[in-house]
Amino acid sequence: MSDALLEAINPAMFWEYRLVLMRGLAFNAYVFFSSASVALAVGLMAALLRVNRAWPFRWIGTLHVELFRNAPDYIMIVWVHFVLPLLLGKLLGQRIEWPPFVSAVVALGFVYSGYFAETFRAGIQSIPLGHLDAGRACGMSERQILWRIVLPQVVRRMLPEATNQFVSLFKATTIVSLIAVPDLMYQVSMVIQTEMRPLPLYTSAALTYFAVIYVVAGTLRLLSERWRNKIYA
Amino acid sequence: MVEVPAIRVVELRKSFGTLDVLRGVSFDVHRGNVVSMIGASGSGKSTLLRCINRLETPSAGEVYIDGEPMGARVGANGQSSARPLVEINRMRRDLGMVFQQFNLWPHMTVLGNVIEAPIRVRGMSRKDARALGEECLAQVHLSEKSSEYPARLSGGQQQRVAIARALAMRPKAMLFDEPTSSLDPELTDEVLSVMRELAGRGMTMIVVTHEMGFARDASDRVMFLHNGQIEEEGPPEQIFGAPRSERCRQFLSKYRQ
Amino acid sequence: MSNWERLVWNQREILIKGLLVTIEVCLIAFAFAIVGGLILCLVRMYVRPLRPLAIALIEFFRATPIFVQLMWVAYVWPELFGWPNTFFTAGWLALGLQSSGYLAETFRAGIEAVPAGHREAGYSVGMSPFQVFRRIVLPETLLTVAPSIVNQFTVIVKSSTLISVITVPDLMLQALKLVHVWFEPIEILTATAAAYILFVFLVSAAGKALADFHRRRFGLAAA
Repeated sequence: MSDALLEAINPAMFWEYRLVLMRGLAFNAYVFFSSASVALAVGLMAALLRVNRAWPFRWIGTLHVELFRNAPDYIMIVWVHFVLPLLLGKLLGQRIEWPPFVSAVVALGFVYSGYFAETFRAGIQSIPLGHLDAGRACGMSERQILWRIVLPQVVRRMLPEATNQFVSLFKATTIVSLIAVPDLMYQVSMVIQTEMRPLPLYTSAALTYFAVIYVVAGTLRLLSERWRNKIYA
Repeated sequence: MVEVPAIRVVELRKSFGTLDVLRGVSFDVHRGNVVSMIGASGSGKSTLLRCINRLETPSAGEVYIDGEPMGARVGANGQSSARPLVEINRMRRDLGMVFQQFNLWPHMTVLGNVIEAPIRVRGMSRKDARALGEECLAQVHLSEKSSEYPARLSGGQQQRVAIARALAMRPKAMLFDEPTSSLDPELTDEVLSVMRELAGRGMTMIVVTHEMGFARDASDRVMFLHNGQIEEEGPPEQIFGAPRSERCRQFLSKYRQ
Repeated sequence: MSNWERLVWNQREILIKGLLVTIEVCLIAFAFAIVGGLILCLVRMYVRPLRPLAIALIEFFRATPIFVQLMWVAYVWPELFGWPNTFFTAGWLALGLQSSGYLAETFRAGIEAVPAGHREAGYSVGMSPFQVFRRIVLPETLLTVAPSIVNQFTVIVKSSTLISVITVPDLMLQALKLVHVWFEPIEILTATAAAYILFVFLVSAAGKALADFHRRRFGLAAA
């Protein structure tokens, strides 16, 4: 047992493969930033649909949110990777294919757009209508009111919630290895296949992810709290 | 024979860090008496009440309930030692407390709130406790609400339940910490009238309040606290009719319409 | 329509068998997470000497991706501790551990949200600290956090799709196996995805209903 423990915390093997493993971690970051962009853009659109006055728009927005918030990300990745190209191929009458990276970004982006839409909506609805009236009373245009009064407050209000979702999204990027996107977990399993030593490698991978997520999430929370505290003292 | 006061407070002091909230307060409350504490916010009224039943531990001084010291016990050899929490808990049962924020337990029904302590603390059977609970709720005129949850009640009703909860422990005295301060004005009367009925039945009470009407016609004695000390005390006629202290006069003038 | 019949309806027994495994794993993990989370939370809040350990565990479970934790528990723990000895156990254990970290924080928020006055009211009628915790703080906390606990169950269900990777025969694995047999993923995967979404939707709808009920009945805002 103590031998096993020593081996588990021995980072020698992890160090030996550090280059390829770090490249994997960078790929996690790449997937994260790409899918976060998709999630934010799609999420904002869905949120605007949900606060729209016309019911068909609200209905579509709600459908979007309920569909993607309740979907497990693994099955969505598999579905986008294996089913969506076939469906589009049938529709267009030609063979369609795309790399696993695209499937990962599309699937994660849409799943998390559901969460972000709710966060945006809560942020938008928390702005007192009086603030808009105050802007109008000062002669601001609707566009100015949106950009100068509404959005800055929305962003501040949704920051803590959004930080949590960014963290979840980053954690979710680890499963893209399952459709052979070469992230850290993928590289780890490749090394394990040649070295046959899961003990130190999985342990180091877990600790690496933990350290990265813990430090980045903590920093993000600290920064966003400080920034928010300037106006919500 | 000299009567032992129901509550005797001797040289009570309390400070939070460098802030002295109580700076030596002494008084007696005799059985069946109603004492009202008035004074500006920050004068130490609530802290005094919380020190009496030891929700706060006083920095110095002692409180006697029926002659028993609350904070210390005197052994057979005459040595006094700090009273353990278990005993303080037992003594607390004799002091019913009613809070400004009602503090009803939201996950229990009205009756559940009232009978919780009789069952858990007094070890009463559920059946006896129910009978007792119904009786206490009747005293505050809320028998019909016994199976509601607190969230369904108005503030005045919630406060009356809180009074029933305290009554169910058959306390020797009751402490009221601004019982009507978080109520809408139209709801204060139902609570005050329940308190008047209690006083009429001979309950010993200390009431921290901003209701000068209640202090004037329901209490035997009124104490005006200022800066952690009793600035003036006396029968209500004296305090409201001819206060000796300038500060007390100023304070009361704010309440005269 | 015949594809749906051939690939989904006719395979329903296999798929339902998988669904039952999914539900079983999730329920075990859920129970484990509630008990484990409560213990972690209580140790963190009330057992001074073990506090740092509890915090370390909570933070580790929360900040490590579930997939990584699953692989770690399934492939490293047996060598390290000689347990878990089956992938089934590893599956619910990993899911349960992660959720116990989240629930520990949920419980803590719930306990901290109990107003001090509710405790003082208990002391003022002579209840002991243990009675106050057992009869007032704990039940009130469980009520406030109940919707969040239900919500955590949806997280477990969503994460449970990953136990197929360590060959636990859940709904996901059965679906993927059928895809391998028939080489026709469209209907099977769409139906499986729909089943998962519906399942999670129903659970979270139940959680919302519970939160509404609590707000109406007890005047509690969900923590």
